Amino acid sequence: MQTKTHISARDLTVSYGEQQALNHISIDIPDKKITAIIGPSGCGKTTLLKSFNRLLDLQDGVRVAGQVLVDGENIYDPGVEKTHLRKRMGLLSQRPTVLPMSIYDNVVYGLRIHGVKDKKILDQAVERYLQEANLWSEVKDRLHSSATRLSIGQQQRLCLARGLAVEPEIILGDEPTSALDPVSAEQIEQRFLVLKNQYTIVLVTHILRQAKRLADYVIFLYLGNLIEHGPAEQVLNNPRYAKTQAYIEGKFIEEPTIHKEITLQKERSADYLTSTLLALDELQVDQVLKVVVDSEPTMNEISKAVELKCHKILEVKRIDLLHWEIIIQKQNVNFII
Amino acid sequence: MGKLWGKSFDKRKIEENIFKGLMVFSMLVVLGSLGFILVTVFAKGFKALSWEMLTQGPQGGYYIGKGGGILNAILGSLILGIGATFLAFLFSFPIAFYLNLYLKKKSRLAFLIRFSLDILWGVPSIVYGAFGFTLMLFWGIPASLFAGMLTIALLILPIMTRSIDEVLKMIPLELKEAALSLGSTRWEIATKVILRQASSGILTGVLMAFGRGISDAAAVLFTAGFTDSLPYSLFKPVATLPLSIFFQLGTPFPEVQARGYASALVLTVIVLVLSIVSRLLSKRFTRHIIK
Repeated sequence: MQTKTHISARDLTVSYGEQQALNHISIDIPDKKITAIIGPSGCGKTTLLKSFNRLLDLQDGVRVAGQVLVDGENIYDPGVEKTHLRKRMGLLSQRPTVLPMSIYDNVVYGLRIHGVKDKKILDQAVERYLQEANLWSEVKDRLHSSATRLSIGQQQRLCLARGLAVEPEIILGDEPTSALDPVSAEQIEQRFLVLKNQYTIVLVTHILRQAKRLADYVIFLYLGNLIEHGPAEQVLNNPRYAKTQAYIEGKFIEEPTIHKEITLQKERSADYLTSTLLALDELQVDQVLKVVVDSEPTMNEISKAVELKCHKILEVKRIDLLHWEIIIQKQNVNFII
Repeated sequence: MGKLWGKSFDKRKIEENIFKGLMVFSMLVVLGSLGFILVTVFAKGFKALSWEMLTQGPQGGYYIGKGGGILNAILGSLILGIGATFLAFLFSFPIAFYLNLYLKKKSRLAFLIRFSLDILWGVPSIVYGAFGFTLMLFWGIPASLFAGMLTIALLILPIMTRSIDEVLKMIPLELKEAALSLGSTRWEIATKVILRQASSGILTGVLMAFGRGISDAAAVLFTAGFTDSLPYSLFKPVATLPLSIFFQLGTPFPEVQARGYASALVLTVIVLVLSIVSRLLSKRFTRHIIK
């Protein structure tokens, strides 16, 4: 099924000082679907999420290169008004953060700062969005009491209502259920399944089962590299690359030992495929070959050809603007003549 | 004997006890000095305290033991303190917000500003007084309420700014992120979110600065001057409690010295009441606060 792209990253590289957090990420996030970003802790999931609404700008010494396009517009253009951008994306953080005011004021905070003053409209909005977040029945009698007295699960739903009230197009969730009890987490998940008809939802999660339950599309990050992305069924049930597989099976993710390394450059190697296959011939079964190429079409071509020959591709990684790395494990191939 | 016995001479336990003893001792020293000050001021001053003293300005010959009171100094100090606090707040509030919302944590400029404020905090108040006096000479302003206010404002600016700054530093990043992601500008976050979250801390900072300002003698010595009349103009000298105490204690007459202690009692009570009020107020402010 072909869907519209809502957010896309183009060559997105983010570094904190010396440390690179995201390495040349290029992905498309489909419109009105739930996209889950998975991966072990500290591999750049939250960084990727926060790059979408430019919350990264708050961090010390952060450098962003590349583009993030929302509806085709690069949000890192100097002329972009950040408040407009952020208004289009609701954020749910790991720990719910209600604003230090009443429940009512929390929900209408966004509306008020965007100029809505009419009491009637505000009242309606409070009811509508609290209902959308499935919180209305629990708080309708104490709208003017402090939001901090709510339970943590209720607070997270209040944050959801508050985010929805500014009428965003996108909901960003940074492990939004990780601090919640199972019942509250379930409630949030149910909300997401309803909301995805109207909103594009991007969810960072380290709970694989949650990704399985919710996601239509999955992005797997490992140490700042985009390892694999695609429809949820394919990535979660039938991952292409070794690291994704290891992660999904709950195994330790290992870097493969490279036994041979070749670099193919346009002007020097006439035939990429032959060079790759020749290099593979020199190896023994289960040994690993690393091929560095300098264009995406070449990378695709080599991957396809190698898979046709039944070798296993462990990983395809973009290393910088020009270069791609293909890690191939030689399999026991029996040619039938 | 069981295994739990015989451990009381353990080296680690002795160490622990020594340090615990030191901490208790330090606490007693602090509490003791507070108690001692209060008791001294109370014991020496309470008898001399009278309604007349609180409601009248000094009559002729007050400082040699004749009738009158220190209303001039009480009013003068309050007006000067409130004015200076207000002036200082006008500047310290924006500085603290700029430091915490517009500058990043490790920004060099932020470091420089904080460093300068810390140095200013440590500058003795007599130096502020001298500085204020130099400025007054330069501009040709006589010793006046206005000049005193400005000098005291300068004196308490670093104290206020740094204490508001410390409060704002404690605001969790998530709160800022949450407000930002609703499309707020930083100014809106400052006034609508952070001001509420930090209100009690800000109030404490402001009152602390006020307490410091109202009780400083050296900075007003040259700048505000002294007068026996009640304050009536911004551009006329004004009496202040610390100086009034100083003058009264400086006389050779025991009854005037007792009045000096009574004035000290008044000043102490003003500062004490303020800090109690601030505690009570901050409780009301923290109704919505995120802990």
